[in-house]
Amino acid sequence: MEDMIFYDRLQFAFTITFHYIFPQLTMGLSLLIVYFKWKYLRNKIEKYNDSAKFFMKIFAINFTMGVVTGIPMEFQFGTNWAKFSELTGGIIGQTLAMEGMFSFFLESSFLALFIFGEKLMGQKLHLLTGFLVFLGSWASGWFILATNAWMQHPVGYEILENGKFVLENFSALFTNPWLLPAFLHNQLASVVTSSFVVASIGAFYVLRNKQVEHGKLFLKTGVIFGLVSSILVAFPTGDWNAKNVAKYQPAAFAAMEGIFETEEAGAEIVLIGQPNMVEKKLDNKIAVPNILSFLTYQEWDRQIVGMDKFKEEELPDNIPALYYSYHIMVGLGTVFMAIMALAAFLLWRNKLYTSKAILWSIMFLVPFPYIANLTGWYTAELGRQPYLVYGLLRTTEGVSPTVSSGNTLFTLLGFVALYMLLGLLFLVLVGKTINQGPKHQTH
Amino acid sequence: MTGTLISLISILIGIIAANATGILIQKYSYGVIGNTIVGVFGSILFIKTFGRLGFNPWSIMNNGDFDGFRLITNLVVSAIGGASGLVLAKMVYNKLNKS
Repeated sequence: MEDMIFYDRLQFAFTITFHYIFPQLTMGLSLLIVYFKWKYLRNKIEKYNDSAKFFMKIFAINFTMGVVTGIPMEFQFGTNWAKFSELTGGIIGQTLAMEGMFSFFLESSFLALFIFGEKLMGQKLHLLTGFLVFLGSWASGWFILATNAWMQHPVGYEILENGKFVLENFSALFTNPWLLPAFLHNQLASVVTSSFVVASIGAFYVLRNKQVEHGKLFLKTGVIFGLVSSILVAFPTGDWNAKNVAKYQPAAFAAMEGIFETEEAGAEIVLIGQPNMVEKKLDNKIAVPNILSFLTYQEWDRQIVGMDKFKEEELPDNIPALYYSYHIMVGLGTVFMAIMALAAFLLWRNKLYTSKAILWSIMFLVPFPYIANLTGWYTAELGRQPYLVYGLLRTTEGVSPTVSSGNTLFTLLGFVALYMLLGLLFLVLVGKTINQGPKHQTH
Repeated sequence: MTGTLISLISILIGIIAANATGILIQKYSYGVIGNTIVGVFGSILFIKTFGRLGFNPWSIMNNGDFDGFRLITNLVVSAIGGASGLVLAKMVYNKLNKS
């Protein structure tokens, strides 16, 4: 049974990790596309329109890959997590269906109109279609986050005698206190990724002395959006999320912060340290006293409950992975703020386009927002363990009882092979688009 | 679960078919990027629409008993979907961009 759960979780982790490479860019990029199109309508400078159409091409490739890699996720609910789907389908089915019916259709219909219909519709309607693509992609994030928020902090439900969850209050799904901060944090993190992608393509053009005017525009836009979003992702939205974890999932909070023992008064914040699960302590720790209590409760001496106060079965089942995921996310977020602040300063001093070191840094940093986004999700998902629905349904109770671990391993290997092929195709297509460049975009 | 893998293979066939159609009949081509995107949606559309006739991924696996004939039908329909998607998309594009 343990083997089965391990492989089911591994397969889901793999497919969702690969899948989330794509939507995290499309959500943020749609906002930047609307910005470029809106600027074009205001100043009629052609390079803004070129940029909107160029990034819509990259958006379309990402969107398509997101659709292809999203299909296995839909199936996995039934194949690997049949008990979970059976028991909670009455609730999560609502939000997942809404995601498909409202957001996906809105996004895909208007994406086609944006790509094909500029001449027919004129510029104002073309902007409107771009805005509707943005609305669709963010609504998609909203419904998925509503589903996840219910799993993290279940509300508005009733449990029947047969163990099935049914919805008792529909609006509670969308007023869930977990949802809004998680949504804002997630969407802003996707804007960070998109800003880095836009800025890095700009840096590439400027460094190669190719399509330089567009390159400078991408850099400027990416740096400004990147600075604002990387600050907002930390504060207030990241802070708000952390407070929610402390309030609703205190065991997960203690694990992600690496608090093994409850201090009498005032908890320290750990900057560096490695969890030692044998001795139940952090090795080689560098920590600042009382800061965690202040950040969480605005009280220097407030006690924060450590892992020693929880039963073993209430604690997340992979504490080192949770701890590292959280610290990698926070560490990278700090790097993003620093690099974007430096780039914004150089932009203000008119030195950004000639500072090769920062241009190379921006270009090579592009995988890291993806890593930060993914580790952010790992933090949320590992923190929720050992539950699928926090406090109510354990992960061991949601797995499909008749699917063997060998079957899951076989299909996992198949997914790895097919996704490698898809990943390669994605890189070729995006590389080709970047190589063509944004000048005089036609569809 | 192998059904999920089949659905991905089916989409890849749609991509290949759309690109092949684009190479063979240039007037319908959108270039590699456009053809790939249309191939994905064309194949999904055709398999989702017609797969219920008996060759969707779940019927192919038939509770563990693999049916090769249904798999071939699925892949052929997927290829037709990719190619037809390209023709259909070009027709819509031409209508929308008629000057």
